[in-house]
Amino acid sequence: MATQREKLIPSRYIPDIGSHIETIGGKDYLVSNDAMYTFYRRTRGELSPFFLALRDEKKLLGCKCTKCGLVRVPPFLTHCPDCNFTPTDLIEVDQVGIMNSTPPITYFATSLFQHMAPYGRGRVIFKGADTAMSVNLYTTTGILVPGILKKGTEVKLVFRDKRIGEMSDVFCVPTAELSSKQVNKKGLQESEIDWEAPVEPHLPKASEQDVKAFKEAMKEMKSVVSHMNNNKRARKDIAGWKRNIQVKTRGGQFAILINDGDIRIQEKVLSSPDFVMVCDGPNTLLDGLAYRGAITDSIINKKLWISKNMEFNTIFKLDRMARSVARSQKV
Amino acid sequence: MSKRVGIVGAGVTPFKGTWREKTYYELAQMATREAVKDARIDIKDVDAAFYGIYNDIFERTAIPEHPLHGICGMQNKFGIRITCGGATGAYTMSAAHAYLAAGRYKTALVLGVEKATDCFDFSSMSATPEVIKSIGWSGDSFFEQPIGWSASDSYAEVVLAYMDEHPGDLKPEITAGISAQLSQQVKGNKFAQRQFDQVTPEEVINSRLVVYPFKELEICVYSEGAAALILAEEETAKEISRNAGTPVVWITGVGESNEHSFAGKNQKIMSRIMSDYYASHRAYEMAGVTDPQKAIEIVELHDAFVHQLEISMAEFGLVPLGRADSLIEDGLMTPGGKYVVNPCGGLIYCGHAVGASNIMSAWSARKELIERKQKTALVHGTGSTVAQYTCCFVFEHA
Repeated sequence: MATQREKLIPSRYIPDIGSHIETIGGKDYLVSNDAMYTFYRRTRGELSPFFLALRDEKKLLGCKCTKCGLVRVPPFLTHCPDCNFTPTDLIEVDQVGIMNSTPPITYFATSLFQHMAPYGRGRVIFKGADTAMSVNLYTTTGILVPGILKKGTEVKLVFRDKRIGEMSDVFCVPTAELSSKQVNKKGLQESEIDWEAPVEPHLPKASEQDVKAFKEAMKEMKSVVSHMNNNKRARKDIAGWKRNIQVKTRGGQFAILINDGDIRIQEKVLSSPDFVMVCDGPNTLLDGLAYRGAITDSIINKKLWISKNMEFNTIFKLDRMARSVARSQKV
Repeated sequence: MSKRVGIVGAGVTPFKGTWREKTYYELAQMATREAVKDARIDIKDVDAAFYGIYNDIFERTAIPEHPLHGICGMQNKFGIRITCGGATGAYTMSAAHAYLAAGRYKTALVLGVEKATDCFDFSSMSATPEVIKSIGWSGDSFFEQPIGWSASDSYAEVVLAYMDEHPGDLKPEITAGISAQLSQQVKGNKFAQRQFDQVTPEEVINSRLVVYPFKELEICVYSEGAAALILAEEETAKEISRNAGTPVVWITGVGESNEHSFAGKNQKIMSRIMSDYYASHRAYEMAGVTDPQKAIEIVELHDAFVHQLEISMAEFGLVPLGRADSLIEDGLMTPGGKYVVNPCGGLIYCGHAVGASNIMSAWSARKELIERKQKTALVHGTGSTVAQYTCCFVFEHA
């Protein structure tokens, strides 16, 4: 499960001062590295009790209208607009709730949240509340996939060990994945949960047939990758990107080497790959590279394992390259 | 008594993934030049300017419209910028319509422009994660931005909630079929970003999951470009039309609605796009459309996502809620069907240059009404978190 960032702007996001020329139709155009940045000491005003309760007391607060009794969680207002602005009172609500609807799962995140992907974000109606609060959603069992969380699924609010008074101090997991003691505990923290650690899948010993299939797949794989390397659009998809990937399959292993617009396949074992992919048969990966299905979806469907979730980024680039080749062939 | 308002000129720039050769200054002027040329008027004949620019971060400046006023020949005249998320272009038209209908001005320039893909993520060495991050600053800053809100996941919330209520609708083969059909329709739009990107339903189904339940080929693409309209009150519109030899397309209905951004009791109904319902029905009421299924022939719909296109068509009353798949299953939007939906390819294939997109849709609806000799079109813009904002128009061609 992803952790929070330490710096407001991690250094990997910050480019050097510089510029380059792009030539289009024989003319040169200047492109400069640039940024808009503003730092804040952001006031939380009337919302302070809610965020302080999350951070310091591990409590969840809502506000109750003194006229109609509607309980809003989070307490985003002080007076009820449904009752011509009658005052509301802050109250504490339960830390177990149900999903208001089936939540989306983000696999391709914005640059700020790539470290968190894949993640769910959905709305939970906590016991005692009438409205839904937006929270991050995780499973304790690995990558979040469709079907784990649905409308009506009961979830438990979990507090981060390190809290800063933000919505990211909390997230939810299905109560079905917790013990009754954990479900009933107020202020349950992430460190009190057994998170399934990513364990590299064990591949059975290869048969002669597996080795033969691997060799055949490698032939096509090399051809597909060669097409990518000869395709301007596909090369652009990995411009400025460098990754050494070890791919392990039942019939053998090989390396995918990505280096700033260049992609190669070599049948070798890398001493320190950036990450590892494991799939039973090489065709799972081959189909993705050949645009017969997405590699992303193979990971979601658990046909392909990757050692680092952050590398969904690289997977998207490989999927993108496959589409770029297919797209170029149409024009 | 408010004045009747019509469209007398329109122009668009090509929508492209990136325009290294042009700044947003030039894109804005290009579309303006095309619109006044189309209306056969001088820019000096235009009384007021309405600028649709969604996101300051894209243009890398606050008040991004201020240089455009002089560049577009509007010095010393009225100028106002509208920003309403994805519905920026539609709300810009709405504002211009209101000023003309009220008699404040006789003619107006409605100009939408966006240059999104200068945003660049140096950690992944690609533009898209930074473009969607920039849009991510549009989410609720206290409660949702810090937990990864994005435009896609907020619309996915609505779509999944709809699917909770109507589990048999929005079938993957139907959403894939609609995307494939739009990719065919875009072939006739020479300004489109993906004019030659025809896909099969199988390709759509096989494309990667970006945000569950959306596949890559079911999502609009971010574009750079501009679109402009010249609007005029009735007498001026007729005069310009006589001179230009192009019929006026009248804006006979306008409707808007913004929902609550929080969900639950008395707030947003997550399984509905009530803003689409209210805005379209308010536009029908103003236009005197009592049976939209009979009246509406062309729909230019803001298709941020194919699934949302289907739900929006249901909220417009053009298909039943829970039976949006009838758009394809009953042939309602297939070629030769009852409705012509997004003949320009929509935002999924023409592209989504946010502030310009709905104005491009209006450009297309006007063109299609005239060329097909049809009478009534519905034009739609949607935006903000959980499809919160909608602005709709009924266009009529006598």
